[in-house]
Formats: sequence, structure tokens, C-alpha cells
Amino acid sequence: MKFSQLLVDLAFLIDNSLRYQRIKRFFRNLLENDDYPYKKYFDYFMIFLILSSVAIIIEEVKTPISKWLYYYDVYFVTGVFIIEYLLRLWVYNDVHKIIIAEYEESLFLERPFDTKRVLKEIIKKKLEYIFSPLAIIDLLAILPSYRELRILRIFVLFRVFKLLRYSQNISHFFQVLASKKIELFTLLMLVAFTILVSGISIYVFEEHQNPHINTLYDAFYWALVTISTVGYGDISPVTHEGRTITMIIILVGVGLISFATSIIVSAFSEKLDEIRENRIIHTAKKLDNYYVICGFTHMAQLLAKRFKREGIDFLVIDNDPSVVERALAEGYLAICEDATQADAFRHINFDHVKAVMALTQTDMHNIYICLNIRSFSKKCFIISNAVDPNTHKKLKLAGADYIISPYITAGFFAAKIIDEPIAIEAINDILIARKNALCEQVEVIKGSFLEGKRLKEIDFDRYKLILLGIVKIEQSLPGEKFYHKFIFNPDEDLRLEAGDILIVMGYTVSIANFKSQVIESSLKYGKKA
Amino acid sequence: MAKKHKILLFGFGRYGEQIAKNLALDGHKVAIAAPSKEELKIASKDGFEDLYVIDIEDDAQLTDLILDHDFTHIFCAFDEEEKNIYLTITFKSLFRHIPIIAICESKETERKLRLAGADRVIDTMVAAANRLYYIVEKPAVAEAIDEILFKDKSIVFEEIEIPKGSFLDGVNIKDIAFSKKYKIIVIGLVDRELGNRFIFVTRGINHKIDAGDVLVVVGKKEDIDNFKKLLGVRV
Repeated sequence: MKFSQLLVDLAFLIDNSLRYQRIKRFFRNLLENDDYPYKKYFDYFMIFLILSSVAIIIEEVKTPISKWLYYYDVYFVTGVFIIEYLLRLWVYNDVHKIIIAEYEESLFLERPFDTKRVLKEIIKKKLEYIFSPLAIIDLLAILPSYRELRILRIFVLFRVFKLLRYSQNISHFFQVLASKKIELFTLLMLVAFTILVSGISIYVFEEHQNPHINTLYDAFYWALVTISTVGYGDISPVTHEGRTITMIIILVGVGLISFATSIIVSAFSEKLDEIRENRIIHTAKKLDNYYVICGFTHMAQLLAKRFKREGIDFLVIDNDPSVVERALAEGYLAICEDATQADAFRHINFDHVKAVMALTQTDMHNIYICLNIRSFSKKCFIISNAVDPNTHKKLKLAGADYIISPYITAGFFAAKIIDEPIAIEAINDILIARKNALCEQVEVIKGSFLEGKRLKEIDFDRYKLILLGIVKIEQSLPGEKFYHKFIFNPDEDLRLEAGDILIVMGYTVSIANFKSQVIESSLKYGKKA
Repeated sequence: MAKKHKILLFGFGRYGEQIAKNLALDGHKVAIAAPSKEELKIASKDGFEDLYVIDIEDDAQLTDLILDHDFTHIFCAFDEEEKNIYLTITFKSLFRHIPIIAICESKETERKLRLAGADRVIDTMVAAANRLYYIVEKPAVAEAIDEILFKDKSIVFEEIEIPKGSFLDGVNIKDIAFSKKYKIIVIGLVDRELGNRFIFVTRGINHKIDAGDVLVVVGKKEDIDNFKKLLGVRV
């Protein structure tokens, strides 16, 4: 009774200890969470240990190794392996949760706390881990350090197997093969059957005539070498019967080999898309501040081209595999998912997404996408394409922050192109960045040489820039929403404040130069302060 | 506002509707031609009066329509790109002199329209995609362009040809503080000495302005008008 009480107390103590949770979470992340940034370094470290220890053991086969290498291998590497093994055993599950669950259940059902059952459950869970393939490999990988038993050296192989844990590529390979378990098993059975039949028959026919075949083992060895089409030729049939069998099993062997090849190839081609998608999601996860484009329509393609040219990261989502294929061929990150389904965004962390763009051709899909994204993130900026002007309101309701419509844009441009054709062309050149001329926004950074200056004190001419205007961010009432106010060709006495945005026009290099000077001067200010 | 134009707009689909509305808002007189009565019904609901049912493959009908009215521009705004190309070709073969503006959705069609002789081509998808880019990446610029081009009607772009003997003839461009003195911004010019290409002033070349050069300026309508008066250009 007392023991059970102690167990329960301990379980609650652990459950309440934030420090314990934090430490356990840290190790769990380090060992098991692929998205944890530091896991990578841990993996590299382990790979290094494995390779070095394998190298030492191989070296040891022929020549005696130095004392230090020996100590390194026996104590350090093995020590790390043991610690890792124990840690993995520890983080595999939470023992205290089992105890608490049982305790609560016993309270609820008003029955005594069953210590035996709890212990059984705990041991069962831990054994489950111990007997998992990777854990067995881990355990066996520790053994070669025991030098007294030479046979244990063979377990150095398990150290190599241990690499599986730290390399995604190799484990992917096994996952792919695992998906064809049934086929591979059938193949294995077929091979075993063929070897059995042909091995026995060659044994029966040639045991007396052939000096090389003395045991059934020789016969099986010969059978496998023959059906695999390796054919060493160290054992070859000498009787007519034996040769007949050989001819038959060579034919069967060719069939089996092609069967094996086709299974593996088809497994890979089936899984390839999945693996590739995983890779892309993995890459996307590492991005920061990127855009998500839903629907790789014509407009999206043009936008993607522009983004790529400007070096901006984005992820394309489309539900048509052929369209995704095209996006991938362009070198974009693209995944094939239905953006109207919640499933499509399960891997995406919207804190890192700058904006989502729903650019499909149908308003209904765009509305679904907006709703879908809003269900993940309240803050994320959403832009949606609208085909029918009547859907604007619906899209806004669905959560779109901004609505773009090629039809409306066309309307704007159409009206202007008649009166101000040059203006439109010039603006177009600037917008498309065709002639290397750009319109750019430059923020007046706090502490930069721009802050507090009057406009006439800044020689835009020297920077080879034109100042078109200034966007001032103003707050009408404290606590109210900020709004932008654009001042065209402002008075030269206007004083610049931090946070104002200059709209300048000029060539790429001039703008880059100006911007870097602004940033540089603000950095100097930061140092002084 | 500049003088009002009389525009013949073909097509009243998704594009046509928006374009017609914007043109009408700017005070132009818009006539709408479409192959089906359905489209024109919507147009009449939107308040347009000059409506014509036209078969675009019938040259005689088109000729009559143009000859009966004095349209200054023709706008091809069918949702279907190939109709715009076809119409452009037809008009260019019938009436060389009327400027044709056409919309398209792809580079390929833009090329074809230019070959067909369209004077101005709007690639709506490029426009929308680039607009999208500015809205997310450079919102302040997008805002400024919106303001200059669309919202603030008093700010206009204009091209001004320098008359012979005016005070700018023979002057270096950097010697004049346009924005201080005349409250206008010179964006670029066509310097005839250097060919007929438009050059942004930010190139940094101190162009010598001669008669016949074209300045592209942006500014308040009244400031530009004042400037033109000073130059001796008729307003």
C-alpha cells in the first residue's frame, strides 16, 4: 500500500514539475523531432562518432591501435551510445502519466489502486521500445566495445546500421521497401521454393558424379548462385540431368530478378511523389517570411516569375498534379494539395507566412480557401482573386484582406491609357521593372541621416533619384488605426520624421545605394547610442 | 480634364463592363458594341445608351458603324483573346487611322495584337500580377501609384514638346529646379539628339534640351498648365 502511495506521489510531483517537463521536452526534441533546429547538430555528432569508431575497429583488425584511440572508442563512444540508449528509453513514453491515469481511474471507479497492473503496463511499454528494430540495433551497437569476445566485433555492423537513425535518406529507402512488404515476401517465398527444389534435385542427381557437390549445403549454394545469374562457376553441373535443371532455373532466375527489380522500381515511383513532397514541405518549413500562392493560374505564374526575379520565397499549392509538375519544372517550391481542405495547410506555420494569395479562377474556391486559412490563422494577410465583382463582399466576409481582380485593374488602366498613354507606359515600365527603372519605398529609419532633415537639405539629384512623394503614417486619434497619407511632390520645407516613407524613382543601382546609405547611417547612430 | 473622347467599346463581358464603367467615370462618351443582345441588356441596365448589336465577322456592318459616327478610339475588350485579335486586324484593314486599344491576357496574344496593328495593348494579367507584387512587397509605392494615377484626379502625367525659342530651348536640364520652381516633377524625356527613346532623367545625364525634345512630367494639373503657358505651349 505504501509503495503505491509513494508511486502516485512521485508521479504527481513529476507531473507538476515544469523543470522536469522542460528537460524531457528538450531531449525528446533533440532525439526525435526532425524540425528541432539543434537535432541536426546532434545527428552530425553521432554520425561522426559512428564513423570514427567503425574506422578504429577496422584499423584494429590488422594493427594494434594507440591507447588513446582505444580509450576513445571503448569509453567515450560507448559511453555516449549507452547514454543515448537510456535517454531514448526514457523519452519513449511518460511513465508518470500511466500511473496518474490508473490512479484517476481507480478514484473514479472507487476501487483500490492496482500497483501490479501499473507496473505491468510500464514494463510493457518500455519493452515495446526495447524490442523495436531500431532499439535493438542501438543495443547491439554498444556490444563491439567488449574486446575480450572477438565475435562481438561483427556487431560493428550495427554501428553502421545506427546511421539509419541520423540519415533521412537511408530511412526513406527502407520505408519505401516496407510499403511493398507483401510483394517482397512473395518474392522471397518464390526464391526459397526455387532454391529448395533445384538444390534438392541437383543434389539427388549429382551427389555421386560431381566432386564439388558433397552436401546439401553445396547444392543450395549452387542454386542461389545460378538463379541470381551470378554464376561463379566453382560448382557446375556435369550430368545431363543436372544441366537440364540448370537451364530451367536460369530461365526462372531471369524472371525472378526482373520481378524483384520491378517491385523495387514501382515502389519508388509510387513513393517518389510523396518523398519529393516531404522534401518540399521540409524546405518550406525552413523558410521565413514567405508567400503561399494557392492556385497556379496565369496570374500566379506571372507573380511567381516576379517573385523569383526579386529573390522572394514562396510556396505554390495547386490541386492539379500536372500544374504542380510545371511549377516544379520552373524551379519553384510546389506541392499538390487541395487548398480548400484543411489538410493542405497542416504543415504550414502561418507565423512565418507573409501573405496567402488565393488566385484560383473560380470565386467559390477562393472563398473556400480564405475561410480555410482563416481557420488556421486570424492574423495572416490574405489576398484573393475575384472574378465576379459581386463576390467582393463575400470574400471580405470569408476573411480576405485585399481583393485583386484583373478585370478591375484592366478597367483602371483602360480609362487612363486613352488620356495619359505615356504615363501608363512609364508606370508600366516601372511596375514591371522592365527598363531597370524602379519605383521604390525607402523608410526613414530612426537615427538615419534622413530623420529630422528638411527635404531641401537632401540632395536627391546627387543620388540620381526623383522624389515622387512621401507617405506619412498618421494617427488621427491616439489608439485609433494608423492610416497612410500620400503627399505628392511635398513642399521642400517638409521635415522628415522617423517612420515616413519616401517614394523615390530611379535606377536599381541608385536606389540600392541610397537605401544602403540610409541603413548605414542608422547603424552608426545605434552605435553611438 | 483633357478633351473628351468618343470611344467604341467592343464586348461587354467581365472586362468590357469594368472598362466601360471606368471610361464613363472619366467623362468619355462610350458606345458599346457586342455580338449578343444578352450582353447589351446588362449594359443598358448599367446605364449605357449607345448600344449596337454587331456581328464582328460582318465587315459591312462595322464599316457602317464607324462611318456613321466619329469615334476617336476603338477598344477591343472581349473576354476571348482571339476575338480581340480578329477585330484589331479587321479594323486595321478597314480604317488605318483610328487608334485601337486591345486587352490581352498573355504575352503571346500581346505579340499577335501588336502584329495585328493595335496601338496600345493592355496585358491585364501582367498588370494584375505586378500590382499584387507591389501590394505585398512595397505597399507604400502601390499606394502612391494609386494616388497619382487613379485616386487624385488633379495629378496628371503629361508629355510636353519643347517649342522653338522657348526659355528651355538650349538649356541643360539640371540647371532648372523644376520641382521647386514649377512644382512639377520631370520623370524623363525624349532627347532627339540621342534618338527617339524615352530616357529616365535619373540616368544622371545632364541633357541639353532642344526644341522638339519631349519632356514627360507629372504634377498637379494647374501647375502643369502654368508651366506650359510659360513655355508658350497652347493649353
